[in-house]
Amino acid sequence: MSTGTQVEVVMPQMGVSVSEGTVTKWLKQPGETVALDEPLLEISTDKVDTEVPSPGEGVVAQVLVQEGETVEVGTVLAVIAPAGAGSTEAEPAAEERVVADAPVPEPATQAAAAEVTASSSAGEGMPSTPTPAPVTSSPHVESAGNGRTFVSPVVARIAAEHGVDPNAVAGTGQGGRVTKKDILLYIESGASGVSPPVEAFAPEVPEQAPAAAPAPPVSATPPAPETPPVPAAAPAPAPTPPAPTPPAPVVAAAKPAPLPAAPHAPALAAGESEEAMTAMRRGVAEHMRRSLDTSAHVTSAIEVDMSRVVVAREDLKQEFQATHGVNPTYLAFVAKATVELLPRWPYVNAEIRGEKIVTRPFVHLGIAVALDEGKGLIVPVIRNAQDLNLLGLARSIADLAQRARTKKLLPDDVQGGTFTITNPGGFGTFHGTPVISQPQVGILGTYALVKRPWVVQDELGKDVIAIRPLMNITLTYDHRLVDGAYSGGFLKELRERLEDWEGSSG
Amino acid sequence: MAEKTYLQAISDGLRQEMRRDPRVFVLGEDVGVYGGAFKVTHGFQEEFGPWRVLDTPLSETAIVAGATGAALMGLRPVAEMQFADFVSCAWDHLVTIAAKQRWRAGTPVPITLRLPSGGGFSGGPFHSQNPESSFAHIPGLKIVCPATPEDAKGLLASAIEDPNPVLFFEHKHLYRRIKGEVSDDRYTTPFGEARVHRAGDDLTVITWGAMVYTAGEAAEKLAADGVDVEVLDLRTLIPWDREAVLESVRRCSKVLVLHEDTRTGGFGAEIAATIAEEAFEYLDAPVRRIAAPDAPVPFSPPLEKAYIPQVDDVVAGLRELAAY
Amino acid sequence: MAVREAEPVGSLQEVKDAGLDREDLFGIYRHMLVTRGIEERGHILYKQGKIPGSFYTGRGNEAGAVGVATAMAPNDVGTPLQRDMGVHITRGVEPWRVFAQYMGRADGPTKGRDGNVHLGDAKLGLHAMVSHLPAMLPVAVGMALAFRIREEKRVAVAWCGEGAAARGDAHEGMNLAGVRNLPVVFVIDNNQWAYSTPAYLGYACEHLADRAAAYGFDGVVVDGTDVLAVYREAKRAIEKAREGGGPTLIESVTLRTEGHAVHDDAFYVPKELFEEWALRDPIERYRTWLSDYAAMTDEEEDELTSGVKRLLHDAIQQAEASPLPDPETVADGVFATPDELETPHHK
Repeated sequence: MSTGTQVEVVMPQMGVSVSEGTVTKWLKQPGETVALDEPLLEISTDKVDTEVPSPGEGVVAQVLVQEGETVEVGTVLAVIAPAGAGSTEAEPAAEERVVADAPVPEPATQAAAAEVTASSSAGEGMPSTPTPAPVTSSPHVESAGNGRTFVSPVVARIAAEHGVDPNAVAGTGQGGRVTKKDILLYIESGASGVSPPVEAFAPEVPEQAPAAAPAPPVSATPPAPETPPVPAAAPAPAPTPPAPTPPAPVVAAAKPAPLPAAPHAPALAAGESEEAMTAMRRGVAEHMRRSLDTSAHVTSAIEVDMSRVVVAREDLKQEFQATHGVNPTYLAFVAKATVELLPRWPYVNAEIRGEKIVTRPFVHLGIAVALDEGKGLIVPVIRNAQDLNLLGLARSIADLAQRARTKKLLPDDVQGGTFTITNPGGFGTFHGTPVISQPQVGILGTYALVKRPWVVQDELGKDVIAIRPLMNITLTYDHRLVDGAYSGGFLKELRERLEDWEGSSG
Repeated sequence: MAEKTYLQAISDGLRQEMRRDPRVFVLGEDVGVYGGAFKVTHGFQEEFGPWRVLDTPLSETAIVAGATGAALMGLRPVAEMQFADFVSCAWDHLVTIAAKQRWRAGTPVPITLRLPSGGGFSGGPFHSQNPESSFAHIPGLKIVCPATPEDAKGLLASAIEDPNPVLFFEHKHLYRRIKGEVSDDRYTTPFGEARVHRAGDDLTVITWGAMVYTAGEAAEKLAADGVDVEVLDLRTLIPWDREAVLESVRRCSKVLVLHEDTRTGGFGAEIAATIAEEAFEYLDAPVRRIAAPDAPVPFSPPLEKAYIPQVDDVVAGLRELAAY
Repeated sequence: MAVREAEPVGSLQEVKDAGLDREDLFGIYRHMLVTRGIEERGHILYKQGKIPGSFYTGRGNEAGAVGVATAMAPNDVGTPLQRDMGVHITRGVEPWRVFAQYMGRADGPTKGRDGNVHLGDAKLGLHAMVSHLPAMLPVAVGMALAFRIREEKRVAVAWCGEGAAARGDAHEGMNLAGVRNLPVVFVIDNNQWAYSTPAYLGYACEHLADRAAAYGFDGVVVDGTDVLAVYREAKRAIEKAREGGGPTLIESVTLRTEGHAVHDDAFYVPKELFEEWALRDPIERYRTWLSDYAAMTDEEEDELTSGVKRLLHDAIQQAEASPLPDPETVADGVFATPDELETPHHK
């Protein structure tokens, strides 16, 4: 009802199946007064021709649809202003429109399903892109011979929970697949995680995809096509899997691209021995290749005088150890500095999706962990690392590393990373060119802390030589998104941050 | 306690309800003087009189709509369709009024509809159907399918008490073939609670009605193979015991859904879809269904045998599943 | 049993014999005015886009509806149809709730779950119609069956249109009622048009009331524009049923003076028919009768009409102020809970 505000005149719905109407004649013109319920215009619909009584009283302020025009039901045809208002602005009417729109429920978003069905294996994950091609999730065991690697959902879950590689289990199911009974028996018998010799791998036969959850770093079956690579150079982070909703991402019969293989395997020469690649190795190989094919890898390096960090670390070591049982490692310091800076350098913490760039204010920091005996790599993720202080980061790093090595990681621990730090410096190397963990765009490498003679300024501002603990830090970035100047800026700030470190908070 | 046939249990239970609650009355064709085509209401009219055991004209619409009207006025009608197949004549009333009245007009419709259903005796296309799934699909109707005499009595009492329209499918094949211990006391069996007909761990069969016994026999055969089959009797379809089904699936990981109704759109599809949605990670094999083929129920014995799932069909399906 | 054609009510004395006093007569007039007023206002609101869906009126049937409803006792029940708004009004449904129903509001009788005339207040003995006509007819028969079983002196009234009478539901319901001699009165609103189907294409007998004989009870044809005649016939039939005399079929004849619904302009109805029946407008007729036989004064009339106008104005305001239903509740209440059977009419 008009309460002194403007009233809209709408095209009525003259019958349930009617969706539009035509204005045939305006009985009032703009500027003319009209009374409530007075016939205002005539309309024609599929069902009937009729008059529309005015829903308000006042002056016809605006006529929005002309004679002869056909519009949808609910379209505003005119606006009636209270007498004396004089305004010709069409303001939203005070009245409630009774014509109801059935709310359309949001379709279940994305490839939450697709991500679930995409395979992920230990340390080799699925990209967390929201638009992976949905992988068919109907497990089908092919006829004799090829079915060996099909892993049913329940077997995948049990394998994940126990850190068992299904390939290590003798299968009695159809086509030799591992059944639930088989794997339960295997686990109960206390069998270790060592892979038994696998049959000769014929590379031209596409693998059935389904793999165990990413948590256990034990070798698992090959991943789906979009699996990210791992840095080639050194124990680098394994790619992070997607962020699915179920606790244990389940697997599907995705077929990964077969690894390029020799068309014909030559005979072994005397002394040569041959072993099959484990699933993890296959995954790593595939990921490395893929990442290099995807990103435009460029590495920039900067040398950092870690003097203050060394001092701070000495000061805090005892306290951290005694009170918190954790060692403040150099990695923790670098990680702290990094997560502080990343929100200010969003493109280093971003993701390319098609032609869009996704940035975020949070940092889910991946820390590369090398597994024993060259078995592989895994990159557990510290979620919302930007919220942690030095102690928190040190603890998280220690905890994740320990759990990674003892196969106690959960699927959530290896998903959704936005940036990665790898730390090959433990071996003494001073430089490297890590491979980016897809779909991230940057990876920081920290190298050996080495005492070097270094030119510094004395108290008079003159150059003198001092012994300084130096650490080379690299940023490998995806030049599709990050340019040299940007990466240089980030590294410069990182160096400044570390070189100015004070106490526990820096 | 006494041993009763499935039919006797229903009859005794109904009589007990009528004695207990004067609002309960029976209406249908041939239910009074004749005692019902299957003799379920034999002797009822003598005890309760012609107005509580009402012989109606041949009018399924009037029977169901009449029951609805009487229920709206506070009675508790138990209407009988002589064969479940004839409920199609009253489909409109069930679906248009009985199912929707509570939701849209706020007035409950506490009717019970007894439906002798199922085949296996050359009844032909119009005396053998299991029309449960089309009604299960209509919100507002409850669907009950007892398999044992004990459940038949308890579920009937619950149906009569329930303030909603309840379709009570009595499987004709079980009427006189199945006997069991049934308490003489009054008791109610809750809806939405499945019964473990046979416990097992290797595979599970989800089923109801006469197929419970078919599954049971098949399970015994598999036991000889060393495969331990669980048989879960749903007892009611709307509501159905999701938790029991999912728990069984989680434990056994291989599941067969079995029903006598036709395959496409049969209620087993709803169960299979729910298992796939909610227990995917517990599956060690695809969810399988065994059901009648998509055709009317045939008359001639060899045809009917090929149509209704037999013990051998279920054994074969279970063996396949076990080997997967 | 021949079909009887009803006599008009010719004097105040006949009215008194039929059990109505002057106040009752004015009440009837008011109900008719409110009925028409609601439908006229609703018609406009619909064209203003304030009422979704479809809009049906019973213009021309005010006498039929109000006349029958006036003859019902408080604990009688009925299943009126879309031309019978007058039944709801006469039985006590407040106009604002009718508008709330039209507008799909949460405070409407069906809480927005059903629309237009699909309303019914079970406490007033009225049960909401469905679109499948005349599906509620055998339901009303079931209500009468309950009365018979419990030996209660209550009557069910089952409405049906002359078009809907073609469906099996009507046959099965009437047959069962006749066979069991149930306390139900069938009212066929014969407004001569079932959408665009004229009566002569809907049934082949001369009067639909003729069918009553086939079911074993009496039929009567009454002028549906004469509210007092309708009342008198309805009263007779209802009291007969109440006393165990079984069903009656009342065929109330009028003309549907508007389209099947607002979206139908009834082009297929010959204009002459509209003109002819316009002279027999039920409200006009009754107004004249009240002036002639009950000495209604202008002041009394003005008071009535302006009172009705105010009532409807306020009703629309109140309905518009009622909230729309919460989408979260859409799947609530599909099933009843046992406590819902504790209502008086269920016990």
